[in-house]
Amino acid sequence: MIKDIGYLKILKTGPGTSIQDKGRVGFAQYGVPTSGALDSRSLTWVNHLLQNNHSDAVLEICQPGLQIQFDSPTLICLAGAKAAIKLNGGVISSDGIHEIRESDLLEIGYFEQGSILYVGIKNGFQCEKIMKSRSWYAGITAEVFAKKGDQIPYFTKQDLPNYTASKARWDFKWSQNNIIEAYPGPEWGLLNQNTKDLIESMQFTISELKNRMAIQLSELLPNSLPEMATAPVYPGTVQLTSGGKLIVLMKDAQVTGGYARILQISEEGISILAQKQPRQLIRFLVKKNL
Amino acid sequence: MKPSVKQISPLIYEFEWDSKVSDQLLQHQLSLKANLQKDFGSAIIELRMGFKTLAVVLSKPLEATLLEDWVKSLNLKKSLKALPEKIWQIPVCYSKETGRDLEALAKHKNISQEELISLHSQPLYRLHFYGFLPGFMYLNGLKEELHTARKSVPDLTVPVGSVAIGGSQTGIYPSSSPGGWHLLGQTPISLFDSKLSIPVFAIAGERIEFTPITIQEFEHLTKHPQKPISR
Repeated sequence: MIKDIGYLKILKTGPGTSIQDKGRVGFAQYGVPTSGALDSRSLTWVNHLLQNNHSDAVLEICQPGLQIQFDSPTLICLAGAKAAIKLNGGVISSDGIHEIRESDLLEIGYFEQGSILYVGIKNGFQCEKIMKSRSWYAGITAEVFAKKGDQIPYFTKQDLPNYTASKARWDFKWSQNNIIEAYPGPEWGLLNQNTKDLIESMQFTISELKNRMAIQLSELLPNSLPEMATAPVYPGTVQLTSGGKLIVLMKDAQVTGGYARILQISEEGISILAQKQPRQLIRFLVKKNL
Repeated sequence: MKPSVKQISPLIYEFEWDSKVSDQLLQHQLSLKANLQKDFGSAIIELRMGFKTLAVVLSKPLEATLLEDWVKSLNLKKSLKALPEKIWQIPVCYSKETGRDLEALAKHKNISQEELISLHSQPLYRLHFYGFLPGFMYLNGLKEELHTARKSVPDLTVPVGSVAIGGSQTGIYPSSSPGGWHLLGQTPISLFDSKLSIPVFAIAGERIEFTPITIQEFEHLTKHPQKPISR
């Protein structure tokens, strides 16, 4: 296969657009966060439909208002949020494969459901791989968030690549689920029974403090735990702060923290949480038997 | 000094020691780490350390009590190794130009700036692990007189290389970031290089020494970067 380089040009973007893959594994010992797509379920899905490697890099979009132009033919695949999408001015579906021709213009509008849209591309985006990953992160990669004028490389072919026009449906329902499965964290046992009962029965609200590092939940718990000797944390670790707040760590979280770690959410749970919008409600289902 | 082991998720386990942060505890942690690598090497995706913890991420689930039984059967005394002897010298320019809180902290502690600098640069600090930011060293050994509660309102930007005190900790900001620690000075040494396969120079167990330099030396080293030296 002859691989020529094509470029996706960012014409307009809101905050929070970045390139992500499966993330940077094995560098936590140097203090390097995992990073990677917040919703790894959607990442895997677009790469699967494009017959890419499951870890190929995609564009992660967290806000409406993105306009991008492709300078050469390829295939793209959309998944994640249900959004208003236009290709050269015509409305297209926000899930599944779309053919791209030279100079095609893609516009991402209003997010009807979910909060992160993924644009996968045939063979993945080809930004520099640093520490075994193309995921953008401050201090590791040159870019942190996409800005107007950026050109992101991908492989193109003169002819449109072959693909099976499979009618695989993207099911939005999974991200509507408000039950988040979690395992008891290392400090779960330090909580009193009343607080444990509350955590297992309360509804929690996603707050406006939601980014690639963490999601803060709005409710305060009556019982808090003191800060402790700095210890390992992961994407999906739920911290209880000394002020009684719950913070769910996401993909760009630090590798260690000083707050009590009361729950550990599954990868699937992280994907569901990532797609929640502020003010949406969730519950924790604490699984005592691993 | 046997740790307890907890399963955190189907693939994450954590060993925890119920003892004070010390060189001896670090020795035990590093020894357990080496044993894990020896016995489970191919199944280990990642190891993360804390002051009293060692966590491991595995590539496939283990039988329920396997790690518990394994740690019980270990003869840790036999595999205990002395901590490394290497001491890294980190040049630090302690001044109000490079450490915006130096003056206020000295005043708060009721000592002169010279005393503050000498209290901070005299001890050898032990590197326990990296965390917080890429290349940020968690160091043990700050003199109790210098323990200072973090700022109630964190600074929006702490300059790269800032040497600071927060709580019972001292550390160096390897990159510019928001932060709530009190800034005493700045080092011109680069602490993290993502282009290298091992992006840091010091490993857990080695020691760090802060050596005061003048503002002229700081400016010179900023223009002509040097690798850190060890003794």
